[in-house]
Amino acid sequence: MRDYPAPFARWLAGVSLLLLVELGAVLSFVLGVANDLLRLTLGTAPLSGAVSTSQSLPTLISRDLVPNRGYYTGEEWAGTFLGLEPKYAWLIRVALVVVYGAVWCGWLWFGYITFRRHYRVADWTPTDDIIDRLRSHQWGKFGMVIVALFLLLALFAPVVSPTTMEQNIQDPYSNQIQYFSEETGEVQTTTAGAANRQSTSVGSVARNVGPWEYDNFNRFHPFGTLPSGKDLFTFLAYGARISLFIGVSSMLGAGALAMSFAMISSFYKGAVDLALVVTSDSIQALPVLMILILAAVVFSNTWIATVYNGALLFIALFTLIYWPYLWRAIRGPSFQVAEEEWIDAAKNYGQHPAQIMRKHMAPYIVGYMLIYASLTLGGVIISVAGLSFLGLGITPPTPEWGRAISVGQPYVASASWHISLIPGFLITLVVTAFNAMGDGIRDAVDPQSAEGDEATAAAAGGGGA
Amino acid sequence: MSKMNTTPEQEHQATTADDEVLVSVRNLRKHYGADSFLSDDPVKAVDGVSFDIHRGETLGLVGESGCGKTTLGRTLIRLETPTSGEIRFDDTDITTLSGSDLKQWRRNAQMVFQDPDSSLNERMTVGELIRDPLDVHDWKTKSERDERVRELLEKVGLSENHYFRYPHQFSGGQRQRIGIARALALEPEFLVLDEPVSALDVSVQAKILNLLRDLQSDLDLTYLLIAHDLSVVRHLADRVAVMYLGHIMELGETERLFENPANPYTQSLLSAIPEADPYAESERITLRGAPPSPRNPPEGCPFSTRCPTKIRPEKYRSVDDDVWRAMEELRGILRERARTDRSIAMIARELLGLETRLSDIDEIVEEVFGGVDLPPELSTHVDRVVHEVTDGNPEAAQSYLKREIGGPCDTDTPEYYTVDDDGRSSYCHRHTAEYDPPSPTLRSE
Ligand code: SF4
Repeated sequence: MRDYPAPFARWLAGVSLLLLVELGAVLSFVLGVANDLLRLTLGTAPLSGAVSTSQSLPTLISRDLVPNRGYYTGEEWAGTFLGLEPKYAWLIRVALVVVYGAVWCGWLWFGYITFRRHYRVADWTPTDDIIDRLRSHQWGKFGMVIVALFLLLALFAPVVSPTTMEQNIQDPYSNQIQYFSEETGEVQTTTAGAANRQSTSVGSVARNVGPWEYDNFNRFHPFGTLPSGKDLFTFLAYGARISLFIGVSSMLGAGALAMSFAMISSFYKGAVDLALVVTSDSIQALPVLMILILAAVVFSNTWIATVYNGALLFIALFTLIYWPYLWRAIRGPSFQVAEEEWIDAAKNYGQHPAQIMRKHMAPYIVGYMLIYASLTLGGVIISVAGLSFLGLGITPPTPEWGRAISVGQPYVASASWHISLIPGFLITLVVTAFNAMGDGIRDAVDPQSAEGDEATAAAAGGGGA
Repeated sequence: MSKMNTTPEQEHQATTADDEVLVSVRNLRKHYGADSFLSDDPVKAVDGVSFDIHRGETLGLVGESGCGKTTLGRTLIRLETPTSGEIRFDDTDITTLSGSDLKQWRRNAQMVFQDPDSSLNERMTVGELIRDPLDVHDWKTKSERDERVRELLEKVGLSENHYFRYPHQFSGGQRQRIGIARALALEPEFLVLDEPVSALDVSVQAKILNLLRDLQSDLDLTYLLIAHDLSVVRHLADRVAVMYLGHIMELGETERLFENPANPYTQSLLSAIPEADPYAESERITLRGAPPSPRNPPEGCPFSTRCPTKIRPEKYRSVDDDVWRAMEELRGILRERARTDRSIAMIARELLGLETRLSDIDEIVEEVFGGVDLPPELSTHVDRVVHEVTDGNPEAAQSYLKREIGGPCDTDTPEYYTVDDDGRSSYCHRHTAEYDPPSPTLRSE
């Protein structure tokens, strides 16, 4: 790389450019997370100032650049992007985000190709085959596209939402909006909360703001409104964040546990393995939903339930509950790898057990781990939604998809059908997408594996708590 | 042949005192499952073997699969911890090494594995694979390691530019060369070659064997060559140890042993390979049945359940061969039945007094002794057996038969006897003056 820096420099320049246009958002995200962590550990939040400064930095793709909130003066739209109708302004912004995401994906791929062409000495590696198989797996690619869109929705929730979280959901009565009143024929000001009260969706045609409609205050609702009059799309975009956060974190936790345990049990076998089998059996014997409900109730008034609106509690719970399922699923492959002669060879030249696991076992197991983690992730998302549906999940007013389904449930058969059905459909889509992605990875990692093998079914079944 | 109360090694040392011993093994045992509370009888994979390996020689280790030869090889390089016994390597007892001493010692003893598909981690480049042992032992500097890897690649007949390829891109023979290069990386003195060519095409086998021989003379290596293919051993080994059921049956200089096997087991094993001269009128000895389970080996001589020249008790020496063979077969069947675990259902049937599988003893006797003229004294034994088995005491039947028709091979462990002037030793009662010496044409007398 030192001898031939040009291609790498070119790629790096692209990355910086992509980061630069979103500098404010990236910085405020990173600083925000750091700040929250500090607040948790130290009790103070020394970075709050930096966070607000970074939020004021210019970002290319932001709601300020392409505003969609405005009012209709009777002849034209004021306050929106280029005077366009809010829905088009919003669509342009969403499109920009999608394009930005796509450019990132493309650039990362280009980076990989650059690495392959200029820097990697080997002209073929086993990973190449895996990637080639993944590239030709249509169902897996479909899954990955949906998952990528879901990621964008979560990451760019503040940008793709037609309104903001503070204004519309958390603190509607402290925020003013302007609108054009047809009665008086002039622009008037009211609070978002007051406006919400008149934009509710509660079943009757007269009192319903459906998908792709404007309310009486010139506000555009791509998915309609909630019974409280809040914007459903905004609610779901922020809800995606928390679902994804819980899903990914708990799968990272459970995955790391499962993988270490699988390698330890297959390397040492015997009593260690037996102890793990007994432990995981005991955990798997517990009724998952019961435990979740119980824990949610027991811990509901403790500090742990307040961290990230209860998300931390669920991450811990899902990690503890799901590692046995993942461990079971990868124990077989892990034992298979442990039987290979190269493990003996490494022992023979004195390699340390930890290094044997890391270098000579982990590369073979991590693929399987990805498969089962993505299959189970869907299950976690469903579980969180299910708990929120029961009123035990994430604390209000933090948005969570399950709660949208729950509050919309009485209106399913009415004009306000969208409140339940849209989030329900989205959950199904996302879970299917994660499954499709898992299938794709499985066929890429392990081309011989037959369709619908037992372990997959078990992991997926275990996921649907 | 004189009986001498010594191990084969002490014998051998007497004749080849000038050779320096590199590895010296004494009464080595490796039992599996002995420490576990879950299993009943331990598997006696290696059950008391003693031998020496001299510096610079190749000791071949042959035997049928399951005889314990691979376990023995793995124990010698401490991939298994021995149950008891001693392995001296250059005067260090390596059975007690641990921690960094063990790691340090491992540089001296490496292994070439059987299956080139399984012995190389497919996710590492050839260079990384061969360098891994060097990295583990922090061998010199990084660039010297790279240099060493390239040198090793050349040495085993590959080329430098294979460094960044993956095992997947090589043929079986080439992969075995990579495995050999990795084994050589730390400059060991001793290599265990575990069936190094059995997974390869016949056309490639000779090349790999020649490579191993060239490397041996170049680098002063000492080999333990484990193989079931006798021609491979004959090609490469200076001396051969023949293993059966955890014991060494015969050990001696290769050509002499192959030309004139002394032990009944070696004789049977060798007669199983086709003669180079198809017109040679040699009698084939077919081995009866499968070897007994190492979980439950026979008392006395390990080969006693299958030996074609097993010693009969005095009073039955005159009995017709066919009759005697039928008697032994009956014993074999009883033993076989005891081995197959009785299922819960069978035990329940037995308790309820229902017919069990063992009650078809009449049919068995019918089949075994059909057309055989049974002398009256043997006939009583058979009747007794039928009686005991029908009563549900197959164990009693077994011990009765052993008592009545068993000979020294069933009760006494043989000794090692020196059988030629080159110090060859063989593990068989027949080398005593009392009995006829074993020979391939000898019938069970
Ligand atoms: S001791 Fe008896 S059974 Fe064993 S090999 Fe010699 S003759 Fe055969």
